[in-house]
Amino acid sequence: MRLLVRLLLLVTISSPALAEEAKNISSVESITPVENAGSWLKRLSHSLKTLNFSTSFVVVKNNHAEPYHWFHGVNEKGAELEILSLLNGARRDVLRKDNVISYIEPELPPYSILSTELRGPIPNILSGDIQKLSAAYNFNLVGKSRILGRSAQLIRIVAKDNNRYGHWLWLDQKTGLLLKMAVATRKGQLLEQVQFTHLDITESPAESLRQLQSTELPKILEIPKGYQQQKLLWQVDWLPKGFKRLNANRHRINSTKQPVEFMLFSDGLVDVSVYVTPSKEQRAVDFVMDGATVALNQAIKGVEISVVGKIPSKTAKRIADSVILLAPSTSSVQP
Amino acid sequence: MSESKFETVSSLVDSYQVNDELFDEIVKDSHLSDTWDRYHLIGDALRDEVPAAINIDLSLNIANAIADEPTVLAPVVKVSFSETVKAKVIQFAKPFGQVAIAASAAGLMIFNVQQNVADNESFTPNQIVQTNPFGGIAEPVSLNYQQNSQVSQKQAFVEQQRRFQALLQDHQQQVKFTVPANSVAEPVVEAEDTPK
Repeated sequence: MRLLVRLLLLVTISSPALAEEAKNISSVESITPVENAGSWLKRLSHSLKTLNFSTSFVVVKNNHAEPYHWFHGVNEKGAELEILSLLNGARRDVLRKDNVISYIEPELPPYSILSTELRGPIPNILSGDIQKLSAAYNFNLVGKSRILGRSAQLIRIVAKDNNRYGHWLWLDQKTGLLLKMAVATRKGQLLEQVQFTHLDITESPAESLRQLQSTELPKILEIPKGYQQQKLLWQVDWLPKGFKRLNANRHRINSTKQPVEFMLFSDGLVDVSVYVTPSKEQRAVDFVMDGATVALNQAIKGVEISVVGKIPSKTAKRIADSVILLAPSTSSVQP
Repeated sequence: MSESKFETVSSLVDSYQVNDELFDEIVKDSHLSDTWDRYHLIGDALRDEVPAAINIDLSLNIANAIADEPTVLAPVVKVSFSETVKAKVIQFAKPFGQVAIAASAAGLMIFNVQQNVADNESFTPNQIVQTNPFGGIAEPVSLNYQQNSQVSQKQAFVEQQRRFQALLQDHQQQVKFTVPANSVAEPVVEAEDTPK
């Protein structure tokens, strides 16, 4: 694989078109000097929030690809509008009007959430304050290459410890927008890729966004106060540095109706879910990978523990093993 | 071609006249140079200096010479033959070597890719985003590995896949439901003013 990469590199280096682009790059850079990875990411965040763009991308996981269409715009009042649609299979749309985000999915009736963070294949933090990641990640300026017919700068967001994957971002030299993203292991094996296939930047928001503006969004889901911060009778003793608890609740898993106790943690870039439920079975640890997302499950000593998130399976196992019950009787875990 | 020219050639052959310009002219003019040759031959014949046989057919001469010295030439030929063979072997060997390297690299790549695919398929529920995901679950390759050894084992496997599918889906769902605590407080207040 490495050989192939080198060969490709050689080919791209020797291509005269690139040389020409390199000249353009230098002229652009002289206008807007961008020296380090941090300022590149700042520029990305700014572009994602302020530009009117219409773009398509494909999420490539192990053996399948998911195509999306993504519109973003800012209206006259300065409110952000977004539409993110999955183009294959059952309809999945995410609509955003400023601080209301609506999800239209086959599993649930349409609902809205009060948030400015649209949850899709692209991590939210990229349009937020990326410096929040600097405690657990390093930002590395790597090299230039050609992506989507444009000259791109590769930035790697690499974890300081070896409990996390790295995120590689290819950013457009001209606009700073994302052209490609990959989640990779520390050894450089790509687990999941987001490849943009088309990018249009316009003066005003796209027509579909204007229509969205006059559309009434589904009802806002009322999350009861304190629902997300319930007191559970267990805790996770170990997490990689920088992970914070965002949610702790009891709910039923939608498709199996199994009751679980749940905690969600995030280090700003990746989310990790931990599920705990009593179990009569005894099962050795097992896991599956969906792209970069691992789902790990084990049932030991009457407690079933599952960990899901874009983390290495080793990390997931360590998190699962660190769960300690605060109450001795497992029956108290029952919701 | 004037007679005087031939005269001057004649005088040149007899070394009566030495003139650079004339020499050039003779060299350039094939008629004159032929004449010059002939005059010299005539002169030689007159002086009885003509060699016993004028070797016009060089190839015959050389052929004879080769026939005369086969023992001397033979080992030389043999050596050169073996050398050319060797050189050819090297020439062939090089491209073969390159092909072999390329092939092994390609093989490695294919191997890697296959390994990846095998790894992934054995672990991955087909799609998390499917309305009725259980149709896709029977597909993973690892199911074939188990080769209907035991139905219960198969069932356990399907059960496990279903569990993972549910977990992946629920994780996605919870991530969407979860609103960061700091951003909950502010928008909730604004929510009442938000035009519906």
